[in-house]
Amino acid sequence: MTTTLHEPELARLARRRAMVPYLLLLPGMAWLFAFFLVPILRLIGVSLQSGIYPNYEFTWQWDNYARLWTQYGGQVWNSLRFAFIATVICLVLAYPLAYFIAFRGGRWKNFLLVLLLMPFLMPFLLRTLSWKIILADEGLVVGTLKSIGLLGPNATLLATSVSVIAGIAYNFLPFMALPIYVSLEKLDRSLIEAATDLYARPTEAFRKVTLPLSMPGVVAGTLLTFIPAVGDYVNVLLLGSPNEFMIGNVIQSRFLNVLDYPVAAALSFTLMAVIVLMLIPYVRATGTDDLVA
Amino acid sequence: MTKFLRKHLLTLYAIAVFLYLFVPVALVVLFGFNDVKNRFNFRWAGFTLEHWESVFFGRTFGGVPGLWDATLTSLRLAFISSAIGTVLGTLIALALGRYSFRGKGTTNVFLFLPMATPEVVMGSSILALFLVIGLSQGFLTLLISHIVFIISYVVLTVKARIQGLDRHLEEAAMDLYATEWETFRRVTLPLIMPGVFAAFLLGFALSFDDFIIANFNAGPRVQTLPLWIFAANQRGIPPEANVVGTVIFVVTLGVMLLNVIWQRRQSAKEARA
Amino acid sequence: MTENGIPAVELDHVTKQFGEFTAVDDLSLSIGENTFFAMLGPSGCGKTTTLRMIGGFEDPTSGTIRLHGDDVTGLKPYRRAVNTVFQSYALFPHMTVAENVAFGLRRQKVDDAEIKRRVGETLELVQLSARGSAKPKQLSGGQQQRVALARALINHPRVLLLDEPLGALDLKLRKEMQIELKRIQQEVGITFIHVTHDQEEAMTMADSIAVMNHGRIERLGSPSEIYEDPRTPFVAGFLGASNLMHGTVSGNDVGLPNGAVIRLTDHQAARCNGHREVQIGVRPEKLSFYGRGTSENTPANRLTGVIADASFLGTSTQYLVEVPGIGQVAVVEQNLGEIHAPGEEVVVAWKPEHTFVVE
Repeated sequence: MTTTLHEPELARLARRRAMVPYLLLLPGMAWLFAFFLVPILRLIGVSLQSGIYPNYEFTWQWDNYARLWTQYGGQVWNSLRFAFIATVICLVLAYPLAYFIAFRGGRWKNFLLVLLLMPFLMPFLLRTLSWKIILADEGLVVGTLKSIGLLGPNATLLATSVSVIAGIAYNFLPFMALPIYVSLEKLDRSLIEAATDLYARPTEAFRKVTLPLSMPGVVAGTLLTFIPAVGDYVNVLLLGSPNEFMIGNVIQSRFLNVLDYPVAAALSFTLMAVIVLMLIPYVRATGTDDLVA
Repeated sequence: MTKFLRKHLLTLYAIAVFLYLFVPVALVVLFGFNDVKNRFNFRWAGFTLEHWESVFFGRTFGGVPGLWDATLTSLRLAFISSAIGTVLGTLIALALGRYSFRGKGTTNVFLFLPMATPEVVMGSSILALFLVIGLSQGFLTLLISHIVFIISYVVLTVKARIQGLDRHLEEAAMDLYATEWETFRRVTLPLIMPGVFAAFLLGFALSFDDFIIANFNAGPRVQTLPLWIFAANQRGIPPEANVVGTVIFVVTLGVMLLNVIWQRRQSAKEARA
Repeated sequence: MTENGIPAVELDHVTKQFGEFTAVDDLSLSIGENTFFAMLGPSGCGKTTTLRMIGGFEDPTSGTIRLHGDDVTGLKPYRRAVNTVFQSYALFPHMTVAENVAFGLRRQKVDDAEIKRRVGETLELVQLSARGSAKPKQLSGGQQQRVALARALINHPRVLLLDEPLGALDLKLRKEMQIELKRIQQEVGITFIHVTHDQEEAMTMADSIAVMNHGRIERLGSPSEIYEDPRTPFVAGFLGASNLMHGTVSGNDVGLPNGAVIRLTDHQAARCNGHREVQIGVRPEKLSFYGRGTSENTPANRLTGVIADASFLGTSTQYLVEVPGIGQVAVVEQNLGEIHAPGEEVVVAWKPEHTFVVE
């Protein structure tokens, strides 16, 4: 039997075998393509339209984008401000907690992690609304602050930026804590031992060894917290007032209330673009393989 | 005293943070027992079981309009969207975990994007799409949009499980006369099942708790539980909602606990064999 | 070698390319029935790829593969009457030992009673009768390996493929399993194709060895054939120390740079193929020390040098002798009493028939 008869058949067989992964990917990726990618790309088109719902026309309305600072500068500032402060609060709260679980957790590590995530089993809206009770005018927190003079007798924390930030920080804490925990957990303990062997005191060892090596986790946690926080609007609606409106609120109201799709799309797309820009250096640094686990 | 503080500072701090995490949750549970007749449930007025009674024994949650329907809708939505999302995501995870092909890097990035996209952007962009293709808001639009964000999380969960499996297991099965389908059914699927199940639960939880995407895509005729709670917030949320939240919390906790106990039993059984 | 002339496995100009990289390069091979055949070579030489093509896990880019005369090129593994023992054993973790072993039979729709009987038999063959209901992770590495073997053999394949199955075992267990595998092969009477990078393992177990390098077979033969007559520098070096030396041919003699003249047999001289410059070699154990005075009894081929190093290895001592103009020559002598020390001047001699020529 000559061998030349087989080559084209073998090549065909190899091609068919190579198709299998693509066939597996097809349904899910098609879904994502149609209902995730296309809509977001369409935002660009919609953002350059104008008109009255539902009859928009494409008119290269760049003005829609200009509104970001002419009309909504305040809300943009709110978004950045609240997200930033909340992220810092999360970092301050989460880092020691993650450190505690990673280094002092022992056999209870998994239990403590579950404990960290347990509040998420309670529906988001209900647990966020609890902050209204916690920050109530005569409640424990505000009452104490008033009695020691930090707050005036008529002050209220409800419907202020304080309550909004409190809500955001509360809801995003695990997003900050988990990546930090993962990178602390993976830390090679013998590195710290080596540092102390070389005469470093505990705080020095922390500063020079543990902290730098946990940076990837800190960066990941910060991104995972800041990015969703910037786009959030629910905490404002539940705990704040129109003064605290963030860019997410503007997008929501222009989409659902005012039905001004073009402007909303412009804002939406800008938000998305800024986030992608922030993520590019991160993705470059960590590589694509670890992104989806 | 200071020495005690110094030594245990970290532990005390950790306890404080855990308390911070649980106080709001505890308040939700507590205020399900609050004795208020109206819907202004922010101040403690006394202990009562009447709201629990009305949820479990009263017809459709004590006649609280919409709460029963909203809960059912949420459950149905979560179940169907997670089921479909899990199937689609598992197929992708199989491709990523078991094959090498061109475009793997791009695929990974593409799957990561939904997790990094703000829900506002996702929800609003899908809404704009539905407008153009003329699909009116309702359960279907909600379902479609939920599946979108569930897929990435499923891939995350299942892919981790697949990568832990010996690459040669499927080859060994085929070497032993199993066809591709038989191999999948008898070897691959049973082994990734724990991951697939965990992914389904994750998708279920994400869908059930979603507010923002539903806010954009549910439309006036359909209401999920989060949407109901939000709407009720304007007029005042009845304690029955707290009861429902507490039940959800306890049930999910119970399921997780049972899973852990069951797994411990399995390992003990295998160790004895 | 073959019972009725048809080889058990035949590879006909098989090539496998992965993109730009050629893993197997126009390889042709014929393996007989009831043979313990080893494919030996360093990592990346193509031995595992070749095995996988025989098993059906990879298809060749071109070429034909035949099993007992039937063309199986392109057929899926479940259509070939061969079974494989994988390097990682690949036991199904969610099934018991018995279920693992029965897997192949179940797929072939053998009835329950027959399955039960054959599982019992095969477990006894590998001495694991008591562990049928255990799960793989409860077994030791050696036991898992035997389950993998049982799982394959129970299907009565006509050829058994083994992909470095002993790699994960410790030394003592590996040596035991080498003997065990050989015994089983002889008892069952089918062809075993065993891939390994360990030359000692190959030489212990195999009836016939193919030494592979860069996707090609460099040498095919019995263990003693390829050891005593390696024919290429690569094979010579891969199977042990070879003391290769360059020299100039004249008739049956080879002149070395230090002036020594090495005698060849006619057979080896013919292998020089008319080249003037050749490389010759001699295995360390074929070399012996003689006193500085030579006599009739001293073998014909001699080199004079100084011992640079002596390593005591228990049963033998390995010496490195510095020969001016040649370099270091390795000598291994059994420890029968006299041990030489570094610094000693010695004469190293060997018989002409122990010289080999490499290309």
